[in-house]
Amino acid sequence: MSAVGIRIDGVSKRFLHRVKGEVYAVRDVSLTVQPAEFLTLLGPSGCGKTTTLRMIAGFEQPNSGRIFIGEQDVTGLMANQRNIGFVFQNYALFPHLSVFENVAYGLRVQRKSEGDIARVVGDVLALVGLQGYERQFPNQLSGGEQQRVALARAIVIRPRVLLFDEPLSNLDAKLRVHMRGELRELQKRLSITAVYVTHDQEEAMAISDRIAVMHQGAIVQEGTAEDLYRCPSSEFVAQFIGRTNLLTARVLAAGATGVEIELAGQRIRVPDETARVAIGETVRVVVRPEVIDVHPADSGSGILGSIVSRTFLGEKAEYQVQVGAEILQVTSYDPVRRGTFAPGQQVRLSFPAEGIQLLPGEA
Amino acid sequence: MRGWGAGEDQPLIRLGDSMNAATAWLAEWRRTLRDPALSITVLVLWALLGLFILFPLVKLSAWTFVDGGHFTLANLQAIFQDPNHRQAFWNSLLLAALVGLCGTTLGFLYAFTAVRTNLSRAWITILDAASLLPLISPPFTTAIATILSFGPRGLITYHILGIKGFTIYGLYSTLFSETLTYFPIAYLTLKPILAAIDPNVEDMAFSLGSSRWRVFRTVTLPLTIPGLANAFLLLFAASLADFATPLILAGNNFPVLPTQAYLQITGLFDMKGGAVLSFVLLVPALVVYLLQRYWVSRRYYVTVTGKVGAQTTIKSVAPWARSPLLGACLLVAAGILYFYVLLFYTSVVVALGANHAWTWQHYQVVFTAGLRAIHDTLIIAGAGMPLGGLYGILVGYLVAKKIFPGRQAMEIVSMINYSLPGTIVGIAYLMAFNDPPLVLTGTAFIIVACYVFRYSPTGIRATVALLQQIDPSIEEASEGLGAGSRTTFRRITIPLILPAFFAGLGVVFIRSMTAISATIFLVSINWTLITVRILEDMTTLDLGSAAAFSVLVVVIVFVVIALISGLLRRFRAHGAVEITSILGG
Repeated sequence: MSAVGIRIDGVSKRFLHRVKGEVYAVRDVSLTVQPAEFLTLLGPSGCGKTTTLRMIAGFEQPNSGRIFIGEQDVTGLMANQRNIGFVFQNYALFPHLSVFENVAYGLRVQRKSEGDIARVVGDVLALVGLQGYERQFPNQLSGGEQQRVALARAIVIRPRVLLFDEPLSNLDAKLRVHMRGELRELQKRLSITAVYVTHDQEEAMAISDRIAVMHQGAIVQEGTAEDLYRCPSSEFVAQFIGRTNLLTARVLAAGATGVEIELAGQRIRVPDETARVAIGETVRVVVRPEVIDVHPADSGSGILGSIVSRTFLGEKAEYQVQVGAEILQVTSYDPVRRGTFAPGQQVRLSFPAEGIQLLPGEA
Repeated sequence: MRGWGAGEDQPLIRLGDSMNAATAWLAEWRRTLRDPALSITVLVLWALLGLFILFPLVKLSAWTFVDGGHFTLANLQAIFQDPNHRQAFWNSLLLAALVGLCGTTLGFLYAFTAVRTNLSRAWITILDAASLLPLISPPFTTAIATILSFGPRGLITYHILGIKGFTIYGLYSTLFSETLTYFPIAYLTLKPILAAIDPNVEDMAFSLGSSRWRVFRTVTLPLTIPGLANAFLLLFAASLADFATPLILAGNNFPVLPTQAYLQITGLFDMKGGAVLSFVLLVPALVVYLLQRYWVSRRYYVTVTGKVGAQTTIKSVAPWARSPLLGACLLVAAGILYFYVLLFYTSVVVALGANHAWTWQHYQVVFTAGLRAIHDTLIIAGAGMPLGGLYGILVGYLVAKKIFPGRQAMEIVSMINYSLPGTIVGIAYLMAFNDPPLVLTGTAFIIVACYVFRYSPTGIRATVALLQQIDPSIEEASEGLGAGSRTTFRRITIPLILPAFFAGLGVVFIRSMTAISATIFLVSINWTLITVRILEDMTTLDLGSAAAFSVLVVVIVFVVIALISGLLRRFRAHGAVEITSILGG
């Protein structure tokens, strides 16, 4: 079966809140997921990402807009008519059924023969590495095993799309990293379209082909992890993905070759041809902590600052550096060979031009 | 550093501030009417609740407050002008308060010893068993054993101590018997609360320099106070409602309201007087109920800890204090055990205290002359059992899962008969169904109805609790796998609430075997109950056959409980959800 895409077209969902009255959980969201693509909806809690996912699944009905799976308009269909695989945050295993029966459930609903069921369930359990667990019950399994059963149960019916609602958030950190690798590999092997919801930006970056960042019920930016990190379109995205210094700069000159700005008393030419700025205007710029270079104070050029604090993390050292009235986050890699600076020490910071992004003007 | 600026719970966009409860309510109506199965079920249930819970209470109030078509307080005044009745009112309160105090103390001793002194499992099992016995026996088993031991010809008072003319009847014996009967309620209430106190919290107090006694006084005890208050109120209510114990033990000098109401009706044929007396009983019962439900239950401390702390041993009890605590508990347990052995012994000797020759004659009486009562009781319990179980999960399911107007009212009304003293329910039924249009007194139907509506709330609560533990996503998972709502209900919901069905069923059966306070007003020539037979035997001092009947009931109840907990255990092995106690609540 070849993979099908998902298209969401101007979907909104309102809830009746006891106190606040009617509120939007999702507002006019449009999104296209390519066949066999792994797309992640990323955002803080309450941003509407889970509601969006549940509308794709059919557990919630949108108040307006349409949802397509492949070419089919599924907006009015119940969840049980959409042929989707859903993995819940808490797994939602049937506590009264064995592992085998949990996985077989969807096949029994389809009235498959006993022989088929035994064969297919066996295959899928092998696929997720759970042979021999058939007769166990959910409460006898570890978190990771429960997770695999939930996954097996979702894929056994050969769904058109796989939907994940923060499926790894109940696992401990190590297992989480391991399972996300497995999930990704399985999705590739099955070549199935997947939509994944998480609030963990690192998880999103590690697992996805593409990420859609959501904020206050809307998608604020879509792109690969690299796109989002390199060219955030707003302060929210810049701060939500990775660590950020958000600084204010003044435009000195703008032309075809880029923009010249004054940042912390330094003239810097940013090679950004698309920025539409006026001379004299103040702009917000994003400077990632790791692009800033730290040197000893006596080493010539750069802005003078003083170290406020230092956190030594082995592969890197993180500093807070006081520059004028502002405190900058600075990360320096390989501190073992390059040496570290002590709090109170005077240092010079330099900003490589290619590491600086101008944020589009926000109203 | 993840999630910079990730403002948790961003305010959602507001539309209209006061789009509100009214709209939601209208939507509820519309949704309910669109689902005919739901609306019909709701209507039928309301009709039943109205007929068997609200209507009798309205009738009872009418008997109390209406005379010749006019509202009057004269009936109430008359009651309080009669010094005997006034005495009964105060006696009831005094007895209930004392039982509450003694029972809570004893329950606390048990609970504290069981969970705070690092006892081995075997000891805890013994304590559990000893406290379970009185819970599942007919309510007056202890009273009978008290008479056998300390009565005018009692084994201990007359035969061992040789006291002639000892009067056991009165406050102290009633208090003693009710305390032993009801302290397990306090034990069951306090045990989980004491067990939930994180030993790390006590360790913290130790590390700050407190002595053991100080830790107990300043940490452990204060954390238990809401539980103690709750246990006290539960025992207060139980004693207030208790009918059988005072009937056997209180005697003429210590009248209490339930017995007074009973005597008024069966002795003096004064229906009105009985009704008014039972109405007087309603007032303290209601106060206690409201206190318990809306005040104490909201005062529980939730021990705020991030994660479950490291396992630490409980150090709050000094090693030397363990033995006395355990000793005291075992003494009480031995007392209870002695009572049951004595009961059995009485049933197999010719006449306790006079002729200790072995005999089966009492059991012969039970299975010949008493066969009618056994037969009737089993039929009534057998009929009430499936009805009560079904009614319990039906109401529980509707209340927990469906949205319809009057849902909360339904939950509250369904609990009324359970919370009221049996005497009130019995007299109210008598008032309601004695006259046309509905003459049901004297039939088995009325007794079954009384049991179903009085004892199914355990099943309702168990169902609600189970359904609340079942995450909605479990049903969604089934839907996502292609199952329709009917398939989901049949294959997921029903199996998951089956334990509640069995629990509800079990409680209705057990209570049908052991209850007396309500149904003593409803038995007739045609339909009688074992418990009523036991009481008759007690009044004619036919102790041997009373004991034999009691033993029979205890055995039947034990067998049924064993069967049901076996069933429940099977389900628990499969499902993650468990029902802590089929008698809980």
